[in-house]
Amino acid sequence: MAKEGSDKWDEQLYQKVDRYGLVSNLEQCLQCGKCTGNCPVAAITPSYNPRAIINDILAGSTERLLDSEEIWRCMWCANCYRVCPVDINYPFLIMQLRYMVLEKGYGLKYVLPINKFAFRALEEGLTFVPGQKGKEKIMRLRSGVDATPWPEVSDRAKMEMAEIFAQTGARHWMEDLEKEEEKPVRMSYREGRIVHEGS
Amino acid sequence: MKEARVISPEKRIPEVPEKLFLFRSCTGSMEYPGTEQAVKYVLDKLGVQVVMDADQTCCSGYILTCSGYLPEASLAVTARNLAMIEQKYDLDTYCFCNGCFGYNSELSHLLNHVPAIKEQANQLIGQWGYNYQGRTRIYHVQELYYRLLDKIKAQVVRPLNGLRVGVHYGCHYLAQQYGILDDGDLPTFHEEIIQALGGMPVFYKERRMCCGYAVGRGFTHKESVVQPHLGRKFDSAKEEGVQLMTTVCPGCNTALDREQPQLAKRGFGPYNIPVIDLAQLIALAMGAPISKLGFNANTVPLNGVLDIVGVGKGE
Amino acid sequence: MSDRSEMTALVIGGGIAGLEAAITIAGAGHQVVLVEKSPQLGGTTRELYSSFPRWENPAELVQGKIEEVQKAGVQVRTGFEVISSQKQGDIYRVVLEGPGQKREELVADAVVVATGFELFDVSAYGEYGYGSYPGVVNTLEFESHLREWARGEGKEAPPKTVAFIKCVGSRDRSKGYPYCSKICCMITAKQAGLVKEIWPDAKCHVFYMDYRAAGKGYEEFVRSVIEEKHVRYTRGRPAKILPEDGRLLIRTEDTLMGVPVEIRADMVVLAAAMQPGRGTREMSRIFDLNTDYYGFLEPVSGQAARVGERVFAAGGCIFPVENQGALQQGAAAGAGVVALFNQAR
Repeated sequence: MAKEGSDKWDEQLYQKVDRYGLVSNLEQCLQCGKCTGNCPVAAITPSYNPRAIINDILAGSTERLLDSEEIWRCMWCANCYRVCPVDINYPFLIMQLRYMVLEKGYGLKYVLPINKFAFRALEEGLTFVPGQKGKEKIMRLRSGVDATPWPEVSDRAKMEMAEIFAQTGARHWMEDLEKEEEKPVRMSYREGRIVHEGS
Repeated sequence: MKEARVISPEKRIPEVPEKLFLFRSCTGSMEYPGTEQAVKYVLDKLGVQVVMDADQTCCSGYILTCSGYLPEASLAVTARNLAMIEQKYDLDTYCFCNGCFGYNSELSHLLNHVPAIKEQANQLIGQWGYNYQGRTRIYHVQELYYRLLDKIKAQVVRPLNGLRVGVHYGCHYLAQQYGILDDGDLPTFHEEIIQALGGMPVFYKERRMCCGYAVGRGFTHKESVVQPHLGRKFDSAKEEGVQLMTTVCPGCNTALDREQPQLAKRGFGPYNIPVIDLAQLIALAMGAPISKLGFNANTVPLNGVLDIVGVGKGE
Repeated sequence: MSDRSEMTALVIGGGIAGLEAAITIAGAGHQVVLVEKSPQLGGTTRELYSSFPRWENPAELVQGKIEEVQKAGVQVRTGFEVISSQKQGDIYRVVLEGPGQKREELVADAVVVATGFELFDVSAYGEYGYGSYPGVVNTLEFESHLREWARGEGKEAPPKTVAFIKCVGSRDRSKGYPYCSKICCMITAKQAGLVKEIWPDAKCHVFYMDYRAAGKGYEEFVRSVIEEKHVRYTRGRPAKILPEDGRLLIRTEDTLMGVPVEIRADMVVLAAAMQPGRGTREMSRIFDLNTDYYGFLEPVSGQAARVGERVFAAGGCIFPVENQGALQQGAAAGAGVVALFNQAR
């Protein structure tokens, strides 16, 4: 078996990835390939392969997954989930896998740029609020169709949403990510090789 | 085998609501305000009263799925919004964005089926007097359009004159899989609506292809994945002579509309296929004043389409 | 102890399992009434053009069994169905209904149910477009295409490429049945091999998750289809079929290579799952029989063929089975009835 604390091979990997219990039926996977066959991203870059990622999670093969660039390509279209014969909720699996690798410093460049809007949403109660110029354009468009110049979100709502994020620790988690040291990712499924030491 | 995947509209919405809560979409209210107004116009014409409330926040689902927010927070935000609707209005919740619909459905499903999750959320939001019970049902307005298709058809005053419409269903309504109006791989209910409006639905080969903008891949993988992907979708639409594309999600609308000039710069197209919300098209056919439909928010202009339908500049 | 001097067995279902049971019971000197709802005997086997693993003609098998049935003096009622039954002590009072709603009552001392299976309705798979896209057919529909082509029809427009998709409705906890329907891997290999026999220039692809060839001569059969008839087997369950320019575009993954694949075909054959037939479900209700979760008849624990009091079963109504297995089960059910009748003497 691999050395204790080794990053490359982890028998508990599935449980660690599915920390919220959102994908409890992963072992039902038949490796049939319907997911990859229907995946629009795999059609563009075959190095991204949902079936192979599921296999690696079950096998405990962290080596390829941690610094993989590919796992950041899923666009949540859920085509895979729709045709899966055992209804594996792959989008939720990828979301949780991404949490895990983010905490180790991989893939930050795919989340931190969006964080600007993520933090702003906690103040505005709306997501993807643009800067001043963008706001002015929106107000013009809205007035033109007889809507209120700005979508109305009450102060109470904004406060409560911000508090939820503070009290669940979610805001703290986001702030921690900003301080994390970024590690490089690579197209590991094109180049990856698995080495199980000492087994 | 599980429960029924596809159910009739009468089973999905047994009683047509007299009044409903319309869930504000962030992208809808900011990028395409005409869509929100069109939804209200259509529902009004169908005899349904609409309530919105400033106490509703963003569903927070988009950034959750980008792995930017944690589920504990989004679950509580969802519970809070839905509890507010239950306690203030006791109405069903209708979204006009596939994203809001998908996230609210999935998160409320978890809240209602895993007691520990509901308890945790209710404990948190209880400090402000909220208590989520799971009474308000989550729908998308596209379901109501189909449920009331005959009523829509009867009110068409500007038939579309055979306009070739390529429908874009988007991913997050049909991803629900069980207890929805149509099969996720071979849906036809939007095309039936187009036909009822006097348009010619085009079953272009890649009509079921995702818009590519979910979970922020438009930020992170625009050149490497999203643009080639959209190029394939639009190539397929152009080949089959699609003159207009419709969406039921402001997120998809943003992707398909705003990305076209950038695709052209990279050598995909040019396509010049305007993209509007299905509600805007229905409102157009029902005689809504054009200036109030907010088409000036669109990147790809609609001029050709309005000519085909026979709409003058002043209407 | 029965006080009846002559015992009568009722065999429900005129496929080869039922025929074999009837022959066995009549051969031991008892009265047999064989009821079949369609106008002809032979069941599903009659619809087949060829059989595995020896490429034999099923029509000859069926014809042979029909002749044996006639020689053995079995009373055959085609066009008849069992509509009700009442158990009274050691006998069943059964009502049959025939053409023109003519009704007949008969008394049976034992019953053999051999009502077979039917194919799952694969229009449930929107991603494959059965019922919407021309050229997408199921196993039995394709078998009749094979028969037509072998007769010389369709020579003006032979298919350039035929693709087979296995496990449509089987091994599927989402839209179909979780179980494996057991015989479709062999049927598909047979049909794919026949395509290459009839149209040597056609390309033939089989998309599989596994191929199950657990029988005498079965592995050799499948390998011969791959190696001698040159059918391409690709491991991957197709994700989607799209109509494109009058042909069918199949999107799948070659899972052994780990790459998505696109193939264009003229005809796609869906190897549909097998489920209990309507007759099976009705007989299990009418005779109050032991069934499994899916409605297939289930022999009582430890018994070879008995599924109820004085009721035996054979063939596809228990689970999908190939011709040889159906004959064996028919003989076992027949023997069970004969042993029961012997005890009564």
